[in-house]
Amino acid sequence: MARKRKGARPAAKTQQKARPQESHARVKRPLRKPVRGTPAWVPALGTVGAIAILVVVFLAIRYFNTPAAPAPANSTQTAQVLSTITSLPPTELEQVGAGSSNNRITPITGTALTGPGGKPLLFYYGAEYCPFCAAERWALIIALSRFGSFSGLTATTSSSSDVYANTRTFTFHGATYSSQYVEFQAVETTDRNQKALETPTAAQLALVNRYDSAGSIPFVDFGNRYAFNGATYLPDSLQGLTWDQIAADLQNPSSPQAQGILGSANLITAAICKLSADQPAAVCSGPAVRSIEAHL
Amino acid sequence: MAGRDRLVGALVAGMGVAGVAVSTYLTFVHYSAAPLVCSAGGAIDCERVLTSGFAVIGGSALPTSAAGIVWFTASAGLAVAQLAGRDSPLLSRVQLAWSAAGLAIVVGLVFIEIVMLGAVCLWCTVAHTLVLITFLLVITTRRPAAEGGRA
Repeated sequence: MARKRKGARPAAKTQQKARPQESHARVKRPLRKPVRGTPAWVPALGTVGAIAILVVVFLAIRYFNTPAAPAPANSTQTAQVLSTITSLPPTELEQVGAGSSNNRITPITGTALTGPGGKPLLFYYGAEYCPFCAAERWALIIALSRFGSFSGLTATTSSSSDVYANTRTFTFHGATYSSQYVEFQAVETTDRNQKALETPTAAQLALVNRYDSAGSIPFVDFGNRYAFNGATYLPDSLQGLTWDQIAADLQNPSSPQAQGILGSANLITAAICKLSADQPAAVCSGPAVRSIEAHL
Repeated sequence: MAGRDRLVGALVAGMGVAGVAVSTYLTFVHYSAAPLVCSAGGAIDCERVLTSGFAVIGGSALPTSAAGIVWFTASAGLAVAQLAGRDSPLLSRVQLAWSAAGLAIVVGLVFIEIVMLGAVCLWCTVAHTLVLITFLLVITTRRPAAEGGRA
């Protein structure tokens, strides 16, 4: 048929007239062969390859930037630091007031929470790896020590591989607290390497599920009257500091550490004063605590 | 719209629906007391990722997964619009830009998980994979300009 068209042009012209669509197609045909585009799988494969390379780079950055765990504090050093931070002059706490803390304490409703001794119960839920818990424990220890005393507190650090790595702190795991005003229960769910440490009771878990639905830690419940989750100040002011250095900084009311830790301790103190009917008066009658109480 | 393009469009829409399901689950867990179905501790640790400061948008109370719902819904919507015969070069470009933006955000989130948190959330990874597949599907349907088509 092709030969026939070649040899007999007039006949071909007749055919063109008879089949106008085919003729149109011929006219529109490009003068040169279309350039073959890049096969569709090339950019797809390139994307997957680029993502894989990025993941490897991220893993390498992570590997080379994970700091080593700091040397643990010995018991003598721990006792000295605890003695310093639990005997800070009340005038300094007054001077700091709320400091740079972020008041996350909100009123909650529910059956009044009391401990086995019948006194209002303060419940803490956190984990040793958690840097925000590490920061908050400084404030909790200082505040609670104004109403009673701890024993068995040991020094530890937050995870080496989390944000605010190796934040120096103390753990409530293995510690006991006694007070004539309030009771204190703490659950540290995992150690600094995220290995299971303590399991909450069903009642404690019910509190967490009810009042900490977002699952943020630390979570602190003040007798089912007030609660907060997350840290009331950021751990960045503690970065790279040893326990001794933090304790020393707390003696300067204008230091970032004192503004954060003591400010948060005053927030917690005010919430405890609400539970203890403002007892002891020496702690709860200070202007700073009263001012914070008025805003709770 | 060619049969192959219709199939890809349907797959992109399917990714969107699956992504909305995953993101909705994570958002539900964020706001409710429901425990997350995921391992905790070690490198795969959803709780650690989802309770970190990066799990909410810009320090607000809005979880990052809520942004996932918006992204997947829009992605599925664009695919459905093309399937419904509203295919146009502009719509194709918007879909490509949208999926590229989603992939860029996913790269950022993976950076946060691996480098900053040292933990990976399995549910988030499922959502990230859906975004990646969506992007791959979208770029494979791009027609080269030499054949007369446009992005």
